[in-house]
Amino acid sequence: MSHDGHHSVVVPAPGPEFVPHTVAHHFDTPVQEFQAAKLGFWLFLATEILLFGGLFAAYFYYHEMYPETFKVGGHQLDWKLGALNTTVLLASSWTMAMGVRSAQTSQKQKTLMFCGLTVLGAAAFMVVKFFEYSAKNEHGFIVFKNLFAPYDEATGQLAWFQPHGTEMANVPHGHMFFAIYLTMTAIHGLHVIIGAGLIVWVMKGVAKGRFHSGYFLPVDLVGLYWHLVDLIWIFLFPLLYLVP
Amino acid sequence: MFTNVLLTLLVLTVITVGTSRIDFGAANMLIAMFIASIKASLVILFFMHVMWDTAINKIVFLSSFIFLALLFVFTLADQATRRIDHDIHATKSKVDKQWVFKQYPHAAAGKTENH
Repeated sequence: MSHDGHHSVVVPAPGPEFVPHTVAHHFDTPVQEFQAAKLGFWLFLATEILLFGGLFAAYFYYHEMYPETFKVGGHQLDWKLGALNTTVLLASSWTMAMGVRSAQTSQKQKTLMFCGLTVLGAAAFMVVKFFEYSAKNEHGFIVFKNLFAPYDEATGQLAWFQPHGTEMANVPHGHMFFAIYLTMTAIHGLHVIIGAGLIVWVMKGVAKGRFHSGYFLPVDLVGLYWHLVDLIWIFLFPLLYLVP
Repeated sequence: MFTNVLLTLLVLTVITVGTSRIDFGAANMLIAMFIASIKASLVILFFMHVMWDTAINKIVFLSSFIFLALLFVFTLADQATRRIDHDIHATKSKVDKQWVFKQYPHAAAGKTENH
């Protein structure tokens, strides 16, 4: 056994294009290693749910407080772009699920292809997001260059929120909608970027033949992370773009 | 099977957009969140393999939603029972007050008390 510190458990490679997996010395079996890592990752995902949960609670609080502001705010977003990004993320979740399945069945080329498609989905999502943010910047809803500029005490104006001449100027606390919109989508976007980076990292391992039916843990965990990104967006889309 | 899940998710997205176009009043939020929850359940059960995962992993992940419910219940209980006029008289914007007084006449009636 491994805990005597002398022998490591090795999972053989299923074919010549793969490399065997050596179980970390502090685990007795590959199954123990897999379950320990998986439990830890589910705990991490639970903290992610609670991170976004705080933001969703803020959304519901201020939506109740200023329903008119949120309604008008939602109309300033392009629901078609939101729907496009929803479709992109749902499709990328499917490609990731297929990628994990391919890794589990030792199909190297298919794993690379599906992971690559997922990264493309992430890139497409961020491009759409970039154009959306640019439009918000132009309309003065989120003036990015003034994002951290101080509050103007004389006029009571926020430097980053200049909605003059738009519908948003006629509703109370219009900045609340865009503050929540930016915080939620930016933190979500950060997860998209991190997720894409992790998938690229996993693809390097796949190319080297490290992941196969005997050891696919990193592909599995990165896949879970990617599905969480999709999960959050499923709620963000109707709440921000269609404001019920 | 994954492909059927994806197709279902896409159909539910179309239904989400469709129902948002119809005015059900306050029920619009409940409908939107109900559809989103179905979509989330599909992603969790199938794409994230929770359907076939061990009991401990199911408990750990699903318990986060219990804590989430706790957070929402107390936040929204605060929101539902808070008197709006406390915040209104503290703000400097005229637009706010006019709008709020229209919505909440009792706040307008009490404005001289606080000033």
